[in-house]
Amino acid sequence: MTPRLASVAVRAAAVAAVAALVVLLPHAFDDFLNYRFAFVGIYFIAIIGLNVLTGYNGQISLGHGAFLAFGAYTTAILSTNYGVGEYWTIPIAGVVTGLFGLAFGLPALRLSGVYLALATFGLAVSIVLVAKRFEGFTGGGGGKTLTLPSSPFGALSTNEWLSYLTWGVAGLMFVAAWLLTRGRLGRSLRAVREAPIAAVSSGLSLARYKTLAFGIAAAYAGVAGSLLAIAVAYVNPDTFPVSLSILLLTGAVLGGLGSLEGMLFGALFIEFVPKWAESIDNRAPSVIYGLILLGALFVIPSGASGLLQRLAPSLKSAGERLYSRHNSRVQA
Amino acid sequence: MRRVLLAAGAVAAVAGVAIAGAFARTAATPGVTSRLVTIGGTFPLSGPASSYAPIPVGMKAYFSYVNARKGPDGLRGVGGRQIVFKYYDDGYNPANTVQRTRQLVEQDHVFALVGGLGTEPQEAVVAYANQQKVPQIYVSSGATEWGANHDKYPWTIGWQPDYQAEAALYGRYIVSNLPNAKIGVIYQNDSYGKDYIAGLEAGLGPAHKSQIVATRGFEVTDTSVLSQVIDLRKAGVDTLMIFGTPSPTIRTYATMAKIGWKPANIFVNSVSGTATFLGIATSLAGAAEVNDSITTYYTKDPANPAWDNDAGMKLYRQIMAKYVPSGDAKNGLYLYGMAKAYTFVQALRAAGKNPTRESLMNAVLNMNDKTNPFLLPGVVTKTGKNDYFPISQQRLLRWNNGLFTPFGSLVDTRPKGL
Amino acid sequence: MTDFIQHVVVGLANGGIYATLALALVLIHRATGIINFAQGEMGMFATFVAWALISHHGFPYWGAFFLTLAIAFLGGAAVHQVVIRPFEHVSELAVVMATIALLVILNGLAGWIWTPEVKFFESPFPQKVLHAGGVVMSVQDLCVIGVSVACVLLVFLFFRLTTLGLMMRASALRPGTSRLLGIRVNLMLSIGWGLAAVLSAVSGMMAAPTVQLDPNFMLLILTYAFAAAVLGGIDSPVGSVVGAFVIGIGISLLSAYARFIGTELQLPVALAVLLLVLVVRPAGLFGRVVVRRV
Repeated sequence: MTPRLASVAVRAAAVAAVAALVVLLPHAFDDFLNYRFAFVGIYFIAIIGLNVLTGYNGQISLGHGAFLAFGAYTTAILSTNYGVGEYWTIPIAGVVTGLFGLAFGLPALRLSGVYLALATFGLAVSIVLVAKRFEGFTGGGGGKTLTLPSSPFGALSTNEWLSYLTWGVAGLMFVAAWLLTRGRLGRSLRAVREAPIAAVSSGLSLARYKTLAFGIAAAYAGVAGSLLAIAVAYVNPDTFPVSLSILLLTGAVLGGLGSLEGMLFGALFIEFVPKWAESIDNRAPSVIYGLILLGALFVIPSGASGLLQRLAPSLKSAGERLYSRHNSRVQA
Repeated sequence: MRRVLLAAGAVAAVAGVAIAGAFARTAATPGVTSRLVTIGGTFPLSGPASSYAPIPVGMKAYFSYVNARKGPDGLRGVGGRQIVFKYYDDGYNPANTVQRTRQLVEQDHVFALVGGLGTEPQEAVVAYANQQKVPQIYVSSGATEWGANHDKYPWTIGWQPDYQAEAALYGRYIVSNLPNAKIGVIYQNDSYGKDYIAGLEAGLGPAHKSQIVATRGFEVTDTSVLSQVIDLRKAGVDTLMIFGTPSPTIRTYATMAKIGWKPANIFVNSVSGTATFLGIATSLAGAAEVNDSITTYYTKDPANPAWDNDAGMKLYRQIMAKYVPSGDAKNGLYLYGMAKAYTFVQALRAAGKNPTRESLMNAVLNMNDKTNPFLLPGVVTKTGKNDYFPISQQRLLRWNNGLFTPFGSLVDTRPKGL
Repeated sequence: MTDFIQHVVVGLANGGIYATLALALVLIHRATGIINFAQGEMGMFATFVAWALISHHGFPYWGAFFLTLAIAFLGGAAVHQVVIRPFEHVSELAVVMATIALLVILNGLAGWIWTPEVKFFESPFPQKVLHAGGVVMSVQDLCVIGVSVACVLLVFLFFRLTTLGLMMRASALRPGTSRLLGIRVNLMLSIGWGLAAVLSAVSGMMAAPTVQLDPNFMLLILTYAFAAAVLGGIDSPVGSVVGAFVIGIGISLLSAYARFIGTELQLPVALAVLLLVLVVRPAGLFGRVVVRRV
C-alpha cells in the first residue's frame, strides 16, 4: 500500500462516514432539521460548482446566484407552464443552465480579475430584472408558485424526502466533480489558473477551459436552483438577490477554494450561521453575522480544508507508517 | 487535537439545534398550553425592506402590555395565558420566508402565524399554511388577494384596507369632484404600484377611465424620476397620483419642485402620506409643493400633534416608553403593529377558554370590534360571511403646513360584490 | 433638441453623485489591487454620523461636514489597520471577503444605531433652479458636479505635487523597494484608506439630499460607481469620474429614448453596453493595458 493510496483511503473513509451520517441523520433528529439539511445539500451542490470556477480555475464570480435563478426558473416554468414532472426538470435545468454558463463564459473570456468580477456582478443584478421584465414567461414580480413538495414514499416525511433527494443528487454531483477534477480536465483547469503562459505553451486552449469552467459551474448551480425551486415551491426575483451570490462565494471561500470536501463545511456555515447570528440578537442580525464571518476568515483564512491540510501531515505520516511497515516486512 | 476540537464543535452545534427541537412541546393544540399561547411571524429585519422592522416590535410591545396587566376577566394575558410572539427575519426573500415559516410551524409549534409581512413572501407560504391548516392571519400587506381568495385559502386573511380599495376611493372622489381632471400616475413598477393603478381604474369606472392621460413607472431602486416627471408634465397632467414607497415619493416631490411644476391636485398613497414623509418632502421641495396633497388613513398618526390628547395615543406612548424606550414613537409602524396586536388579542379572547385553531379562525372571521384605540374613531374591525376584509374604512386627509385636515366622512371601501 | 440636452444634463447630475465614490474605489484599487466592496457603506455610515451631528447635537451644516470628513479619515485608516491588514498576507480574495464582511456589518450597524427609517439630510446648496434655453438645471446638481470635479483635481494634485502623494504612489507600485527606501508602506496604505473614506463621505453627503438617507441608499450608487471605475480604467482617477458621467448620461438617454425596453432593463442594458466596451477596450477608457498575451 503506497502512502498515496493510504491517504486516499483515509479520505474516502471520511467521506463514507459523512455519507453514513447523511443517511442516518434524517431519522435521528427533529423533522424540521431535515428541511434545513436539504438546504445545506442545495448550497453544497452550488458551491461545488463555484469552487470549480473560482477555486480550480481562478475566475472570480460574484454572480453565481444568477445561475441558481436560471435553474430555478427553468424548473418553475417547465413544471407550471408545461406540466413537466418536477423531478425530470432537475437534469434539464442543469443542462440548460450549463449552456447558459457556456454562453456567458465566451464573452467573459476577455475579462479577468476585477473586470470579470464586475461582469459577474452585473449578471447577478441583471438576471432578476430580466425575470421581472418578461412577466408573461416568468410571472414577473409575483413569480411562480409550484406545487408543494410531498414525499412519494409513505415511510418518509416530506422533509426527509427532500433531504434524501438533495443529498442523493449532491452525492452524484460530488462524485462527478471529484472524477472531473482528478483527471485531465482538473489538471487543465488548474494549469489555466496557476500558470497560464505555461499552459498555453503546452498546447492547452485557454478559451476552451475558461469557458468550460463557467459551463460546469453554471450546470451545478442550475441543478441546485432546480432543487431549491422544488423545496421552496416558489420562485420570484426577490428570491435571488445579489446577496445570494455573495453568500455562495462566502461559503466557497470558507470551505476552502480548491477543495471539494471543504464545500461541505462552507454549505453548513452559510445555512446555519446567519440564522444563529439572528438568534443572538435580532435587532442587528447582520452585524453579528458579519463579525462571525470576519472571525471565521481570520481563524481559517484558507478555509476549512486549508485547516485540515495543515493537519494533513498527520494523515500523510499515517500513510507512510503503513507503507514503511509493509516495506520492512517485505525486506525482512 | 485541533481537528478533534473542530469536529467536536461541529457535532455539538448540530446536536444542540436538534435536541432543542426535539424537546419542543407538541400539545393537543399546537402552541397552546395552560399558561402560554405561542404565535409567530416572519418580517424583514434586515435587507432593503428593513424599514418595516418596527412592526413586529410594536406588536410584541402590545403583547407585553397585555401579558403584564390584568384584563377584563381579572387575569393577566388572555384568559390567563401569556402571549409568546416569536418572529424571524426573512429579509423579504421568499425562500427564507418559507424556511422560517416552516420552522415556526414544525419546530416552534406556533398556534398561529400572525402579521407576516410582504405580499410575495406571504404568497410563498399561503399554500403551505393552508395545507397544514395553520391560521395565517392579519398578513401585513395591502394586496387584495388576502381577502379576495378566501375560498381558496380559508386559513388566510389580511388586516388593513387594501391598496385597490384606497385607490378606488381616490377614483370615486375624482369622479365626484374633479370630473374633468387630467390624471397622471407615477407608480412603482411592482405589484404594489400596479395594485394601486387597478384600484384607481376601478374607482373611476369605465366612463371616467379615460381621464388618465399618462402613466409612468419607475423601479424602486432608481435614483432619479426626472424623465417620468417631465413626461407627465408634458402630457398636460393637472391631477397627479403618486403610488410609491416613501423614498421615491419624496424624490417625486423634490423633482417636481426642481422643474417648477405643481399640479393642481396631488394624491399620494397612504404608506408614504404620513406626517414624517410629507415633512421630509416639505424640507426638500418646499411647503408650496407638498401642501394640499391628499391621502387617506385609518390609524392615528403618532407624528400628527392633533392626537396628542387622545386616550389611544396616550396608551400608545405609554407602551412605547415602557417596552420600546429607544424606539422613535413618532414612527407610525410601531402603532400599526400595536393596532394589529390589539385585533389579535380580541380574536384570541373570542376564541374561547380553550382556543383551537378552528375556534380562532371562527373568531377572526366573525368579528365586529369598535374598540381598537389605535384606529381612527369610528373604524370598525369587521368580518363576516363574504366579508374578508377586517378593516375597510378610510378617511381622506389633506396636508397643509405640517397638519392633516380630514375631510369628507369615513368611507367604507369594502369591495362591492364580495 | 432641448429635450436631448435636458436628458444629458440630468445624466451629468446623476453621474456627479457616483463620481466621487468611483474615485474612492480607484484610490483603493491603485494602492491595494482590490475593490473595496464596503466603500459605499463607509460613505453611508459617515453620512449618518453627519446627520446625527446636525440633528441630535445641533451642529451647523459645514461644521458637521468637515468634522465628519475628519472622522471618516480616522475611521478609514482604522478599518485598514484592524480589518484589512490581518488578511493582506493571505490572498486578495481574503481581503475582498473582508470588505464584504465589513459591508454587512456597517449596513446592519447603521440600521441598529439610527433605525432604518428614511431620513431627511439637508443640502448646503441653494435649492434654486436655472433655466437656459428651455433646459432646467438645478443649482444643487451643478454644485454636486462641481464637487466631484474638485475632488478629482485635489486628488490629482495631491498625488502629483506632494511628497506624501509621491510616497503613497511608490508604496502602491513597489512596496518592497519603498520599504528599502525607508517609506512606511503600511502607514501609506492606511492613509490611502483614510482618504478613500473621506471621498466616500463626500459622495454620501452629496447624494443624500437627492436620494434620501437610509442604510441602503449607497448600495445602488456603489454598483454604478464600480461600473464607472471599471469603465474609466480601474487605476485612473480621471477615468473614474469621466466614466461616472458617461454612465450617468447613458442611463438617462436610455430611459428617455429606449422606453420600449422598460424600466427594469435599464440597468442590465447599461451594464451590457459597458461590458461590450470592455471587450473592445479591456482596460477601460483611460486604463493602461498590461500586456499579458496568452
